[in-house]
Amino acid sequence: MAAITVADLAKTYRFHRKEEGLLGSLKSLFWREYLETHAVDRISFQIEPGEIVGFLGPNGAGKTTTLKMLCGLLYPSSGTVNVLGHQPARREAAFLRKIALVMGQKNMLWWDLPTMDTLLLHKEIYRLNETEFRRNLTRLAELLEVEDLLHVQVRKLSLGERMKMELLAALIHQPAILFLDEPTIGLDVVSQQRVRDFLRQLNREQGTTILLTSHYMADIEQLCPRVLLIDHGHLHFDGALTELLTKTAPIKLLSAVFAAPPPPTQIAALFGAWVQPSDDPLHVRLSVPREQVAEIAGQLLHLGNLADLSIEDVPLEQIFGSIFRGQVNAGGVA
Amino acid sequence: MNLRVFWRLLLYDLQVTLEYRGEVLVWMFNLVVGPVIALLVWLTANQQGIELPYNRQQFVTYYVLLAIITMLTSTWLGEFLAEEIRLGGLSHRLIRPVPMIAYLLANNLGEKLIKLPYLLPMVGVIALFFRDDLRMPEDWQDWLLFAICLPMAAGVAFLLDMVLGSLAFWIDDVRALVRMKDLAGAFLAGQFVPLALFPPNLSGFLEVQPFRYTLSFPLEVLTGALSPEQLQRGFLLQISYLLLLWLLYSVVWRVGLRKFSAVGA
Repeated sequence: MAAITVADLAKTYRFHRKEEGLLGSLKSLFWREYLETHAVDRISFQIEPGEIVGFLGPNGAGKTTTLKMLCGLLYPSSGTVNVLGHQPARREAAFLRKIALVMGQKNMLWWDLPTMDTLLLHKEIYRLNETEFRRNLTRLAELLEVEDLLHVQVRKLSLGERMKMELLAALIHQPAILFLDEPTIGLDVVSQQRVRDFLRQLNREQGTTILLTSHYMADIEQLCPRVLLIDHGHLHFDGALTELLTKTAPIKLLSAVFAAPPPPTQIAALFGAWVQPSDDPLHVRLSVPREQVAEIAGQLLHLGNLADLSIEDVPLEQIFGSIFRGQVNAGGVA
Repeated sequence: MNLRVFWRLLLYDLQVTLEYRGEVLVWMFNLVVGPVIALLVWLTANQQGIELPYNRQQFVTYYVLLAIITMLTSTWLGEFLAEEIRLGGLSHRLIRPVPMIAYLLANNLGEKLIKLPYLLPMVGVIALFFRDDLRMPEDWQDWLLFAICLPMAAGVAFLLDMVLGSLAFWIDDVRALVRMKDLAGAFLAGQFVPLALFPPNLSGFLEVQPFRYTLSFPLEVLTGALSPEQLQRGFLLQISYLLLLWLLYSVVWRVGLRKFSAVGA
């Protein structure tokens, strides 16, 4: 059975427009112009237990709204959501005990006290016995490398440490599904990597289903074999990240460094329009259609004096940038 | 929700409030100063032979006990709840299988448990000073009635705040409303002047308005100012307010939560 089944899910927000200034405020007391926005527009998908799925999309695309409907914080305007056999919006205790939500921009931990106090509260809330609690705590603290920080006041922790603690507190009851909203936001590169490594390990060892939204492509690239591409409330793509890349990025980047500069005329004659500007005469950069990569690499080798050659994908940021600007069509829902 | 969860929440609130012990001391000091000044004014008026509905002993008993009863029945939760709703902190509470009211009750109880040891010695000193005129009930029945109506008064005040705080689901700035309620409420609850000293033509209104049942009523019970009929009517009204506000809170909370979940938690 699927862990999550979503059918024709939609969410419409209604809000009033307020003109600027005091006059606008007074006016809005008596007369309000209401606007509607379709934050999520009839999307459908299924997620199997143990999957890691990434929600991709620009700000305001509907990612967080979808996530919140899945964990029961928002009522859907229409459509159905089933998570582990529950209707999330009813927020039954049996449902809430099976899930966890970590929001990168909001704290769940008690600010004034050490993490341990929040953990002890969770022990009671989620009815863990002493053995379970200690076992989970030891394992998670070890994985996250935070054994020494459990008794430090939360407000004295660094941002990276705090996020690890948020994860620890959210996972102490071993939820079947973990919802993550921008879990690495604001973290330095090393902390981001630690969080990713941890999530991967959690998924592998515990089989925890993970759904995450992120702005950082590295999160998605390293964690999510499957992505849901959401923009303007619509689901544009649902499938493997590699498939999305072949569809939307038919180009690869070849970067060749020569020991002696190759004659520019020869380069121009051989590679023509694929040549990218380069300041260094020793360095030749080409952007080449995927299917011709092997052939072009061979030609570069034949030029002689080749010191180094690398073949790279176009950075994800760049690809998604062009998708969301409407320059590339992701090709509908797979 | 079970008692162990509540105990944990309470422990938390006790610890956090202790972090602010300096402030608590100042608040409690402020809380006793007002009544002492008021008491001195009334006693002077009394000595000059001005005809008043309270005698010397009643004034002393009322004002000496005022600070403690005020502390035990008041709450700071209206603003707190409103901020949780407005800034979205509520989301993290909703995601855990614990009802919001459990957090609020723990906070309220924790606050009182921390304040009590600060307040009792201060009131003790004042009581010692006025010991000749301080009159406490001799009958155990009076104490029993007081023991019943005191937690009910705290309940009425708590629910009033919850209802008001829940308005944050619809109104952006509830703080102004809460402050207005605090001021008007304090006046109508008898925090500045005993209700019996208000103009007689107001007595009907003063008797039935809800704020009387958050503070004045337990004090009236303790000072023995009420006839059996007045006692009976008072208890009936207090219980009615308690039930009515509980009902109102349940409805406002449920509808509000629906709204919260509709516009973006």
